[in-house]
Amino acid sequence: MADSRSSGDQEFTDHAAAGQGIGRSVPRPDGADKIDGTFPYAGDLFLPGMLHARTLRSPHPRARIRRIDTAAARRLPGVAAVVTAGDVPGRATYGLIVADQPVFARDVVRYQGEPVAAVAARDARAAVRALAAIDVDYEPLPAVTDPERIVSVGGEVDPLHPDGNIFREIHLRHGDPAARGTVQVSDSYVVGMQDQAFLGCEAALVVPTADGGIDMRVATQWLHSDREQIAACLGIPEDRVRLTLAGVGGAFGGREDITLQIHGALLARVTGQPLRIRYDRVESFLGHPHRHPARLWFRHTASRRGQLVSVHARVVLDGGAYASSSPAVLANAVTHASGPYRVPHTVVDGWVVRTNNPPCGAMRGFGVPQVAFGHEAQMDRLADALGMDPVELRRRNVLEPGDVLPTGQLVADPLPLREAIATVAARPLPAPVSDRTPVTSLPGGRLAAADPGRVRRGVGYALAYKNLLFSEGFDDFSTARVRLELGPDGTPRAVVHSACAEVGQGFVTIAGQIVRTELGVDQVLLAPADTAIGSAGPTSASRQTWMSGGAVRAAAVTVAERLLGRAAGRLGLPPEVVAEPRRLLALADGEIVASEAGTRLPLADLLADGPVEAVEVFRHRRTQPLGPDGQGDVHVAFAVAAHRAVVDVDVDLGLVRVVSMALAQDVGMVLNPMALRGQAEGGTAQGLGLALMEELVVDGGVVRNPTFHDYVLPTIADVPALDFVALTHAQPGAPYGVKGVGEAATCSATPAVVAAVRAAIGRDLRRVPIRPQDLVLPPGQAHPADLVRPDAGGGG
Amino acid sequence: MIVAVPHQATDQATDQSADQSTDPAPPRTARLHRPLTVAEAVEILADGDAEILAGGTDLVPALRARQREPRRLVALRRVLELRSRGASANMLIIGAGVTYHDLTGWSLSPGLAAMARVVGSPQIRNTGTVGGALGTANPRGDLLTFLSAVGTEIVINSARGARTVDVASFLATGLAPTELVTAVRLPRPCGPQVYLKIGSRQAASAALVSCALVVDRVHERVTCAIGGIAHQPTRPAAAEEFVRQGVDWSTGTIPADVVAGFGELVAEAAGAVPDPLPDDVGVSAAYRRHAAGVLAARAVGRCLPAAAPGAIPGSAGPGSAGPGSAGRFRS
Repeated sequence: MADSRSSGDQEFTDHAAAGQGIGRSVPRPDGADKIDGTFPYAGDLFLPGMLHARTLRSPHPRARIRRIDTAAARRLPGVAAVVTAGDVPGRATYGLIVADQPVFARDVVRYQGEPVAAVAARDARAAVRALAAIDVDYEPLPAVTDPERIVSVGGEVDPLHPDGNIFREIHLRHGDPAARGTVQVSDSYVVGMQDQAFLGCEAALVVPTADGGIDMRVATQWLHSDREQIAACLGIPEDRVRLTLAGVGGAFGGREDITLQIHGALLARVTGQPLRIRYDRVESFLGHPHRHPARLWFRHTASRRGQLVSVHARVVLDGGAYASSSPAVLANAVTHASGPYRVPHTVVDGWVVRTNNPPCGAMRGFGVPQVAFGHEAQMDRLADALGMDPVELRRRNVLEPGDVLPTGQLVADPLPLREAIATVAARPLPAPVSDRTPVTSLPGGRLAAADPGRVRRGVGYALAYKNLLFSEGFDDFSTARVRLELGPDGTPRAVVHSACAEVGQGFVTIAGQIVRTELGVDQVLLAPADTAIGSAGPTSASRQTWMSGGAVRAAAVTVAERLLGRAAGRLGLPPEVVAEPRRLLALADGEIVASEAGTRLPLADLLADGPVEAVEVFRHRRTQPLGPDGQGDVHVAFAVAAHRAVVDVDVDLGLVRVVSMALAQDVGMVLNPMALRGQAEGGTAQGLGLALMEELVVDGGVVRNPTFHDYVLPTIADVPALDFVALTHAQPGAPYGVKGVGEAATCSATPAVVAAVRAAIGRDLRRVPIRPQDLVLPPGQAHPADLVRPDAGGGG
Repeated sequence: MIVAVPHQATDQATDQSADQSTDPAPPRTARLHRPLTVAEAVEILADGDAEILAGGTDLVPALRARQREPRRLVALRRVLELRSRGASANMLIIGAGVTYHDLTGWSLSPGLAAMARVVGSPQIRNTGTVGGALGTANPRGDLLTFLSAVGTEIVINSARGARTVDVASFLATGLAPTELVTAVRLPRPCGPQVYLKIGSRQAASAALVSCALVVDRVHERVTCAIGGIAHQPTRPAAAEEFVRQGVDWSTGTIPADVVAGFGELVAEAAGAVPDPLPDDVGVSAAYRRHAAGVLAARAVGRCLPAAAPGAIPGSAGPGSAGPGSAGRFRS
């Protein structure tokens, strides 16, 4: 396929293998191109003569479709095709877990922005004109937008979808539901809808093929899941749908679901021509699922000495119009609801429901950031009620190996919670505000509205843990191929092939480090990620370094084994040594060394007989489904993060400036310090964004701010330099003892910032993001009726 | 796609694509005119069918999003007479092509410089112009709020000649499509000036609420404009008069209760505007009214030092200013 650059392999060269192996701050192979602007993202791809595709979306959150008339659009000059629900040849619906979402709405639309039709035209202008010429006769219906109402009336009243209105409910019971401690705090909390807000909008380039299939280059998190859903909806075998990863400009969960893939594939097949389908910013905001908004209620009880006795919680997640990954998100929210603490008696009732709001699904943290905001606010209030330091209360209650989780699962692996909270508490504090503090360093920043005399400082702590990899018995695996061969210049090189989606997390770097470490070669090529090899699973759940890194390592180890076997044969060693060559031979510094004989064989000599190749599939340990009462060995492993946030608050204006963030995170072992820091900083910034500014505001089912003018992301002026400490305890079962590092920090950053603001102003905060009015206006005015009823029923 | 034509171009045959004759949609290309003088620019604008391109911070996104599809564009960058700024004995004159960045270091107007420093991002400040801010007339625009406080004349040219209007009339009547803002004229500072702004983050943010406050030590006046409350900057007349009476003009000091009273009166004025802006996605209207009062009190406190306790001239808190007693300041 043509694009602005060659789409060739990414190369790791010119470095001694030893300095570019595991544990080093190896730079990203695509780093320089991303900085200088030459990296080709999916939206930059083009083919001469390609068509341009666009999607027509419903302006209504809920409406009956009386009629769709596409005749005028089809007649427009330059329009190649218009497709609607009737043109979908295969399965009419798709979805990550259950296929409940129509490719195009047929009789009814269930959210604002739901696709109704798509067009392909010779240029983008003609495509836009065609959209305008499609006549859809809607009969607007009253939108159901209050998830509490769905829970209270039961899911089957006025179903919004044939599958009903409740995606999942879980009622976790652990210990004695009647047990209570002597000290009790309870309250309700609200989490707004955060968006992944990746910078590179959705895009794909699709080429129809002679066998009736399609080739697609697409920015996604999971090539094989996309392929399965595209093939089912096109009604063709999966092997005719060939996907290659295009340059991905961020994902954060927002590319796990299908967005434009099926529309583009369908139009390419109908027109028989190559085309590009691409979203603009507004369409991106409307087109992918978001983080679930949550309404939470907690009651924590403890002994007078500060030992948690019970946690009762009620979790209501708004899943929006379609299921996406809602059922799995709810399982995470419910099983993490009491936080990383030893709680003998736990009752959690959770629902994720269908409404006419935008669909919600995966986003960094996957259900945990919502409950972490609630359980950490509760811990601070409990500390107040006990007259205890909030760090000390957490230290007394943290989980340790040997403890039992509310699911009944035993904590078996290292879980350095106490170390994490103690580490951040011991970090040096920033200097206080003084007369010498420039006004631009006060709340409001360079806008300079703050009065230093009206600024109060607050320090807040939060602790969280987050499950790693897929849970609930999912058979999760990743496939990788490693081949050792002689390059065109006669020197040995390794070629890695995996379908792992590089979305910025750093697999392209880590894969090279692993192969250099295992095989001792300088040159490692990474073949494009595509569906020509088995699935690598999604880039989500903090899993790719562990899972695809594990597969690459396993394949490299097998290659080494086969190579040593070949060497043993060449050296005329006995058959038992050929079968188990590591008994006598080792691979070191690009040579085979026979330790006893002192013989050395250069790799190049051995590879002259032909390349050595291995494909390996890596699996993590099996878990169990979540049983009745929310019990089971459901999670593979956990990562821990503790944040300490220091904020300054202008108490008259309600403006917050985050002065410092300290993070101690449990990372297993460090494979690449620079890449690790990138994840820690990014995770922290995204959690800070949820605390203070990021919210997709939905009013009556209509998104009010689908642009970067109104959806406010933190900038470098809003996020202080991160004081980061990596805690290293090798994770059993993971390659090199690593843990996934993408998500844990997001879960603890939000509650830490909220705790610091609370400490600064002495007011309980029950909603994120915090808005300025929440800090300065009387609570009745600051919090409209968006709080759940205290002690609300629902089986609790 | 934009087709550039020489600056002296008049309407020539356009190179529209073949399907345009039957297509109701606008042409796919815009003709780009690049005049060298204001006279040429207003001549091109005379038929009222062209968009003006200055810094492009508003127009270019609108073109990209196809919200606007003009037939002709008049690019002003080569009109050097628009890009000058200067001063007379009493006045500052700023050409419409002057950028925010040009203003950030301007020693003749520290208040304007302070305002310019908090506009948008560095990229916006480098390209956005005075004329563009007026042409767009965003009700929360930083420049509009500041100009409302200082009392500004806006100079507008068209093929029929020049006219001058004040900011309020400009906002009320707007600009005809044949007209071009060529300059603004404002009085030279006669005392401290500040511009305080609340945004949605620590930098690179539009104003949610803002306050421009100008002290005139010569004429013994304080003028103030609040942005973000109504569809145009709000001038709290009663509050201005109250503070005028409360300042000890011989020393240039202000008692603490006058500062506080001023803030209350500004918040009151913000609550009384006839056309309040509704709640936004980020902040409520109630918060913006509250913040207006806080900003105004801080602004006056930054401009005028606090009077020593006990040295308070005849002032008794809010209410002492008679209704309607504050005439609008004009330069």
